[in-house]
This record gives sequence, structure tokens and C-alpha cells, in this order.
Amino acid sequence: MSEILLNNQVIVYLVSESILFVLMLIALLPTIKIVIKWKFYSFSQEQFALEKRAYLVATIVDFIFVVKFFLLIYFVFTIDALSILVPGAMCAAGVVSANDYGMPLLFFKLLILFVMLLWMTLHRYDLEAKEYPFMRYKSWLFIAIFVLVVVEMLLEIGYFTHIDTRRVVSCCSALFGQLEGANPLPFGLDMLKMIIRFYLLYFVNIVALIARYRALTMTSSILFLIISYYSVVYFFGTYVYELPTHKCPFCMMQKEYYFIGYLVWGSLFGGVSISLVWAIMGSLFGIDKSIYRNISVLFISIFVLICTSYVVVYYFRNGVFL
Amino acid sequence: MRSSPFLYFFTLQFFREYKNHLATTVISIALIFLLSAVLFISSSIKYSIDISLGAQADFVVERVRGGKKVDLPIEWIDTLLETRGVQKVTTRVHGRYFFEDKREWALIVGIDFMDEQSNRALEKLVESVDLEKFLFSSNMLVGDGVQRYLKEHFYPKGYNFLTPDGKYKKVSIFGTIPNSLNLMSNNMIIMPQELAKEILGIKKSMVTDLTLNVPNDNLWDSISDKIASLYYDIRVLTKREMQKAYENMYNYKSGVFLMLFLITMATFVLILYQRYSMVFSSQRRNIGLLRAVGWSIRDILKLKLYESLMVVLVSYVIGVSLAYLYVFVFDSPVLIDMFLGGENLDHKIKLIPVVDFGVLSSIFLIYTVAFIASVLIPTWSIAVTDPKEAML
Repeated sequence: MSEILLNNQVIVYLVSESILFVLMLIALLPTIKIVIKWKFYSFSQEQFALEKRAYLVATIVDFIFVVKFFLLIYFVFTIDALSILVPGAMCAAGVVSANDYGMPLLFFKLLILFVMLLWMTLHRYDLEAKEYPFMRYKSWLFIAIFVLVVVEMLLEIGYFTHIDTRRVVSCCSALFGQLEGANPLPFGLDMLKMIIRFYLLYFVNIVALIARYRALTMTSSILFLIISYYSVVYFFGTYVYELPTHKCPFCMMQKEYYFIGYLVWGSLFGGVSISLVWAIMGSLFGIDKSIYRNISVLFISIFVLICTSYVVVYYFRNGVFL
Repeated sequence: MRSSPFLYFFTLQFFREYKNHLATTVISIALIFLLSAVLFISSSIKYSIDISLGAQADFVVERVRGGKKVDLPIEWIDTLLETRGVQKVTTRVHGRYFFEDKREWALIVGIDFMDEQSNRALEKLVESVDLEKFLFSSNMLVGDGVQRYLKEHFYPKGYNFLTPDGKYKKVSIFGTIPNSLNLMSNNMIIMPQELAKEILGIKKSMVTDLTLNVPNDNLWDSISDKIASLYYDIRVLTKREMQKAYENMYNYKSGVFLMLFLITMATFVLILYQRYSMVFSSQRRNIGLLRAVGWSIRDILKLKLYESLMVVLVSYVIGVSLAYLYVFVFDSPVLIDMFLGGENLDHKIKLIPVVDFGVLSSIFLIYTVAFIASVLIPTWSIAVTDPKEAML
């Protein structure tokens, strides 16, 4: 048995994920029935039974969303703890890149949380409207979530069973730092141009959210997410570590940096996801609730504030930029 | 429904029907206590080992022939010192000495008291010893476990070691090794190197192994390769490898326990499912009344899930606190032998209190997810009961 699979945190993580998967399976059958047989105006026994079963699906999804959110944090924490077992790895970056499944797995985890958030928003409005107008959409969305979870489960098994503890992996400095002169930034940008775009996109995003421009919110949010990722890894991160050569998205989640990474990435993904959910809900179903926009503005602003404050504090302390 | 009257009702209901949750809570506390105790012990030992490894030299060089560790010549020091980047090469003499019954043993560690020590803990120890008195005659420093053993066997002041030549060597106890050194010192005897060689039967020109430091840790891998190519029977161990080996060993021990725990947990989940189905069906009338006065299915679900969550939280807090007391205040009797082994000298170890986020969140996660998942379906099935049907 691989030594990775005997790690306590890996066991706890995999068992928790398996329990959630079984719950998803339990919820799948009624969902398929709803897709096929849902007729709101029917007075048949079957329709009443379906309405009751819809509650089970909703309860399960609510529960899974909450647990998956904590499991994402726990997953990052676990792979960070595994870095002692994988030669060459200094933080989660090395362990994630220990095989080809790591990065897609992380991507799927974020995607699933986003789609579940979409489902829960739709469900909220479905309950408010008296005729359950979104029941079919919701059920299709649940089936999509199920497919994503199946892929995630397969990736998870592939990932944890294929971490070779004898093969040396690259550490974060090798993965993000030593690029031999190549420009890692997207769209051929240089650092200054990227940072200008970072703040510009932030303002555009905020304005789009306040002025309720849905298409603009969607575009600017996605662009902001991409630019923010690169800005944090290649610019703001160096101020967190106070070292111009240390470029890593994961090290900032360690104790040495007061776990600030969880807040940085959490506020970014939270803010962008909620703004996207608001934009999608409005465009597809005509739903508009200001609370989503407010929360999104708050999260994105917290993210920008944290990033900026690291640079400002560093400048005031040392009198120079890195 | 506004939340405050809901919470008020929930609290009243929970206390009124606490008997329904009592058995579940007690079993939950027992399970969480057991799991937490094992994980606390394992993480505390890992922490202590990390500290003592941190104080050790970066490399250990051994000689291996036919898979067996054998003594190596002192001249190797000169060859090793010629390697660039290598510093502070020191000799180590150690070995197990089996007492008369041939079952219990002590680890004899011979150190050169006049030389600088590669291990920081030993350095502190040497500083605290009055060397003039210590080296004047055959003396030794003994760990707690060894001292107790010798006292019980009527050797309160010294011991007559039987050397491989068949002669007896009398060594007096000079003092005890301070407990703070680490958990490894329990069955340790520290004495001058020459004396240790005599008792362990090691030739004067030989030592057990060598330790060395490489201050630039970027060079560790390349220097390890260089040293390994110096002699055909040389084996180089780095501090990182040792850390990994210990990590694996304790992961394995607590991992096996965790697996057994999961089997117990699976049984408990089935019992929970049955029990909550029964308890809830006895509450059908209550649920029917609540539905009749206007509660929605969502409200009932919320009420019942809050109840379960309350049971989990109460059991978690009590279980973890009890485990903390058991492990760190009462020194975890019985369970500690699972980790340290009880076959050799008796140990009385004070574990360093270590409670990390990983351990706490693991316990909470595995328990909460399994518990709530098992009551989810019974909760739903009672919540969707038709009010009219329930009142019949």
C-alpha cells in the first residue's frame, strides 16, 4: 500500500469524499425521475411523491456544498502536509504537480463549487416562486454536477494512487520562478501593464456590478480572475513572502505567512463566482437580487485590499519596492 | 419563519427531548475520545521526533556489508573532510546492551566529551556535566527508564557490565539524563567513547558510524551522492530521509488505527440510521402538529438537522477535551504502548501538548460528515410526512 494512502489526512479526505459521492448517488435517481415525469399541475400520487423527493435532493445538495467547501480547504491543507513525504516538494505546489491529475483535480473542485452555487441560487428562487418554475433546469444542473463529481472522484483516485514518493518533483521556485527568461505573464503583458490592468479590471468589474451590466460583469469577472491569478503569483505574492524570487500560489497558505493565502484565494474565487452567478441568473432567468452584487463587490474589494496592503506596508517599512 | 423564535423553540425542544439523544451522544463521545487520543499521541510523538531530529547532524554515514550494519574505521573521517562543503565530522559509538535476562536492553551511547558534539541536545548535556569528576573514573549518565531498572535490580549506584571478553566492567552512575532531552533518552546510557567501545566490543580503531553537517542544504543531494561513491560499502542517510521514515512509521501506526476506527464508524452509522428512523417515527405526531400550525418542510428539516448538529458538536467538544486530558494530563496510560512499545524498559513519558489544525479538523470532518449523512434520509422522511397522515 502506498505510504500516501496511509496518511491520516488522506484517509479522512477520501472517506469523506466517498460518503458525499454515495449521497449524490442517492439523490440521482429521484432527479432523473423529476426530469422525466415532473408535471406541476398534475394531482397524481407520483407528482406528490416527486415533490417530496425534491426536498431530499435539495437537502443533500445543501449538505454537500457546505462539506465540499470545507473539503477544498482541507484538500489544500492535506497536500501541503504531504510535501514532507514527496522528495523535492516544499509546499502544495510540488505535490499537486507530482502527477498529471493534480491540477485538473483542483480545477474540477473549484468548478463543482461554482456549479453548486448556481444550483443553490436557482433553488432559492424556485422555492420563492410558487410553481417551482426552475425544477427541470435544476434537475439537469444536478445531473451535470453529478457527472462533474464522477470525474472529480476518478481524478482523486488517480491522483492519490499515483504520487510516487521516490521520484523527485519540482518545488514551487522551479515551477514558477526559474523560467530562463521566458515571460510567464498572459497576453504578452509585462509586469507594470499587468498591474495597471489588474486595477482597471477591478474598477470595471465594480462599476459593471453596480450598474447591473450583466455581459460586462461576466467578461470582466473572468478576465479579472485570470489577471488576478498571475498578479498574485508573480507580483503580490513576492510581497507576501518579502522575497522577489519566491513565486508560488500555495506557500502563502502556510503557517509562516499566517494562512493569508486562504483569505486571498477565498475572497477572489468567492467574489468572482458570486458575480458570475448573479450575471448568469439575470441573463438566463431574469432574476436579479442586489444581495449577490453587494457580496461580490465586498469579496472582490477585500481581495484587492489585502493584495494592495502587502505592497503598501512593504514600501512604508523598507522605502523601496521589490 | 424568523430565526430567533425558531432558535428559541429549537433549544426548548432539544432540552425537552434530550433523552432521545443521550445514548447517541454517549457513544459519539466514546468514539471521538478514542480517535482523538490516538491522533493526539501520534502527532505529539511526531512533533517530539521532529524537534530531536532538528537538533541532530545533517548526515549519518554507516558501513553496510551484506545488508548488515558493521563498524567502520576512524580514518574515514579524513576522507570525508576532504569533500567540499562538509563540516563537523564526528564519530559515534552506540549499541544495545542486553541486561542479564537478555530481554531488556539499554542503548549505550559513547561520546567524546572533549570534542564538539554534532547533536545540539548532547552539546547542552556535556556543558552541564562536571567533566573533571566524570572522566576521573568509569562513570555513566543514565536515562530515567534505565535508572529505574537498575534500582529495581539492586544496582542503585552502578552496574557491572559484562564485556564480550567475558570480563566484568564496573561503571558508576554519575547522574541522570534530563527528561527534557527527548523521549529517546528513556533507555539511554551515555558514557565516554573508550568505555563504550570496551563494553560493546568495538575495536579501538573503529566506530559505529559518523555524522557530519552540510550547512548549505542546497548541496545535500549532491554531497550525499559524492560521499556514497567514496567506498563501495558506505551508506549515507540524510536528516530528511530519517524525518520521512518516522513520518511514515507513525502515519502507518495511526493509519491502521484509523482504518479500524472507520469500520467501527460504519457500524455506528448503520445503527444511527436505524435509531433515528425509529426516534423520528415516534415523533410523527409532533411533526404533524408543527406542519399543521404552518411550518414548512424546510423548517422541519432545519430543526431536525440542527438537533443532529448539536449532538455532533457537544460530543466533539466533550470527546476532544477528554482525550486532551487523558493524553497530556494523565499521560495516556495503555494507549501509549501502541506507539512506543511496552516490551523494553518501562517508560514514563510526558508528551508535549501538540494540538494542530490538521488533527482537529480531521476528527471533526470524518465524524460530522458520517453522522449527518446517516441521519439525512431519516430526517427527510419524517419532514415530508403529511400532517393529516401524521395525526391519525
